[in-house]
Amino acid sequence: MPVIWSISPKAPGTTPGAFELASSDGAEYRLALMPHLSMGPRGFVRIIAISAAVLALPLLGVLGTPVLWGLLPFAGLALWALWYALSRNSAERRALREDLCLTKERIEITRTNPRKPTQHWHANPYWVRVKLAEKGGALENYLTLEGNGREVELGAFLSPEERASLYHELSRALRHLR
Amino acid sequence: MADAATHDHGHEDTRGFFTRWFMSTNHKDIGILYLFTAGIVGFIAVAFSVYMRMELMEPGVQYMCMEGASFTAQDDCTPNGHIWNVLVTAHGILMMFFVLIPALFGGFGNYFMPLQIGAPDMAFPRLNNLSYWLFVAGSALAVASVLSPGGNGQLGSGVGWVLYPPLSTTEGGYSMDLAIFAVHVSGASSILGAINIITTFLNMRAPGMTLFKVPLFAWSVFITAWMILLALPVLAGAITMLLTDRNFGTAFFDPAGGGDPVLYQHILWFFGHPEVYIIIIPGFGIISHVIATFSRKPIFGYLPMVWAMIAIAVLGFIVWAHHMYTVGMSLTQQTYFMLATMVIAVPTGIKIFSWIATMWRGSVSFETPMLWAFGFLFLFTVGGVTGIVLSQAPIDRIYHDTYYVVAHFHYVMSLGAVFALFAGIYYWMGKMSGRQYPEWAGKLHFWTMFIGANVTFFPQHFLGRQGMPRRYIDYPEAYALWNYVSSIGAFISFASFLFFIGIVFYTLKFGARITEKNYWNEHADTLEWTLPSPPPEHTFEQLPKREDWDKQPAH
Repeated sequence: MPVIWSISPKAPGTTPGAFELASSDGAEYRLALMPHLSMGPRGFVRIIAISAAVLALPLLGVLGTPVLWGLLPFAGLALWALWYALSRNSAERRALREDLCLTKERIEITRTNPRKPTQHWHANPYWVRVKLAEKGGALENYLTLEGNGREVELGAFLSPEERASLYHELSRALRHLR
Repeated sequence: MADAATHDHGHEDTRGFFTRWFMSTNHKDIGILYLFTAGIVGFIAVAFSVYMRMELMEPGVQYMCMEGASFTAQDDCTPNGHIWNVLVTAHGILMMFFVLIPALFGGFGNYFMPLQIGAPDMAFPRLNNLSYWLFVAGSALAVASVLSPGGNGQLGSGVGWVLYPPLSTTEGGYSMDLAIFAVHVSGASSILGAINIITTFLNMRAPGMTLFKVPLFAWSVFITAWMILLALPVLAGAITMLLTDRNFGTAFFDPAGGGDPVLYQHILWFFGHPEVYIIIIPGFGIISHVIATFSRKPIFGYLPMVWAMIAIAVLGFIVWAHHMYTVGMSLTQQTYFMLATMVIAVPTGIKIFSWIATMWRGSVSFETPMLWAFGFLFLFTVGGVTGIVLSQAPIDRIYHDTYYVVAHFHYVMSLGAVFALFAGIYYWMGKMSGRQYPEWAGKLHFWTMFIGANVTFFPQHFLGRQGMPRRYIDYPEAYALWNYVSSIGAFISFASFLFFIGIVFYTLKFGARITEKNYWNEHADTLEWTLPSPPPEHTFEQLPKREDWDKQPAH
């Protein structure tokens, strides 16, 4: 789940929903949102290992003949290209993220984009309005925050279900701090 | 974050014709481009084969003469074997590299794999565009090779699609070099496309879609991509060495300089055998969806189906030498390759029986795609059975380089893969174009093609058993009867192919408009059926809902 909450100071067993238990004084909510990536580092290692093993098969057969030098560059190039493509795509998808920092005084969102400059927004949480447009928004369950004269979106790259639960968690956090 | 007010989700398609089709980075447009280009190249390759069948119709040489090739029988004709060899070579190279892979893998793979996994596009859209244009450049080089100065002081090179040295290293002219470049460029195109597809498949599946929840067609394309990535570099290396042998005085494969021509055959077939599975596996994926849809049942044995494809792919890499039993391998080597080859029948059998089990007690209806799937099932099984026969090293001594082999590989590829291709075309034509073909026309196309293809290739089993060798322009009179029948079949198939071209253009222009998203039934349950027909330019920019694709939570 690419939605990670952290709250400090963290009372034992505190979740964003359990605001009754935690005091709002000095509490700081941090939220990190990342797009879904269906393969982890372990999968990457496996893919490269299997590819290298199969590519080595014809090379073993021609060990000791000059033909090895005709095949090796192409096999190496193919393996490198696969490595580069997988890691570059993963890095690009990981580069996109949204960080939300919420205290009693200030709510701040930073969106890091892979190729465009980083975007910022901040407001006073007391006046911020969180909206979830189930229908009629740009997306299904479109989650937006309004404050400081702007309306910004949050978690557009998440699934509709994730945005819906994020809406409830964020609303509870805001209520807790008010 | 984008400001909500300025967030542009309008996505009207404002691209002009040139931008859309020549600078395309959209996986759906590139898929369509692949299909049409492969169709054009396919027409050329089919025309070559029809001309060859004309020549083989009667004993003696009537059309391919030293006096010039013509479409009317000439009376005093000096046989010109070079034209024949060039056509055989070009037919093979074009069909293998420029028709079936681009259509099934490039065309349907590009169009439907991202849709089925809920990805907005390929991982590298501009690389995708590069792959397509490299394919076009490669096709142009391949056609140019037929028309440029080659061996025997004539045009084109006639060395067979496998490009065996020393024939290929001594062929005159630069036609051979163009053919090698053509294969290089198409190989680069396929490898880049494969890397793109592998990255897309691994990184961009919808949340919750674990590997064993991916639809079978997307799986088949992924496995194909992987085989391309692992097999084609070997071919690229081999033909690069051919190129240096020809032009720079090296002797990798020239016995006169200490090289080993049999080693070339090993390397070529290390690529060549995976290649035939590269062609057929996307077909397996298509057939699975078609059979499940028109049997109105989920596919039987999803997990074994996936593992069977993986097993076929893995086995494909370790059976190459069954193409070359006669080159003088040791008995142990031949025994190994024979047994390993027969093992392939196990995963293939799993697939065939799972398809049959899918239809078992299903509510089967025979719309055009299902007819093609039935045709595929029958013809591929026939080709598979003759494959088991040929896999036996002792029997292969007798059948080697006879028409039995020609019949075998045309049954699995020309009939198996092509029938799967047509099944896919009729299954998805409405989805891709927004218009439906006339049902009677699709059925007529199927029946003429089914009859024509069988009449063409079934008698070639008899010719092979009678001992007629392949790759010759002429034959003794004893083989006349079945050659005549086979040629009649080729003409029927060709007529049916021309009719198909008519169907495509009729459908695109006048076909009945499709208004539903899913114009088959609820068992066409992959993600492309949740989109309008044709799908808009941008699809799945937001993640799809899980209940849209997770129809069988059991696996």
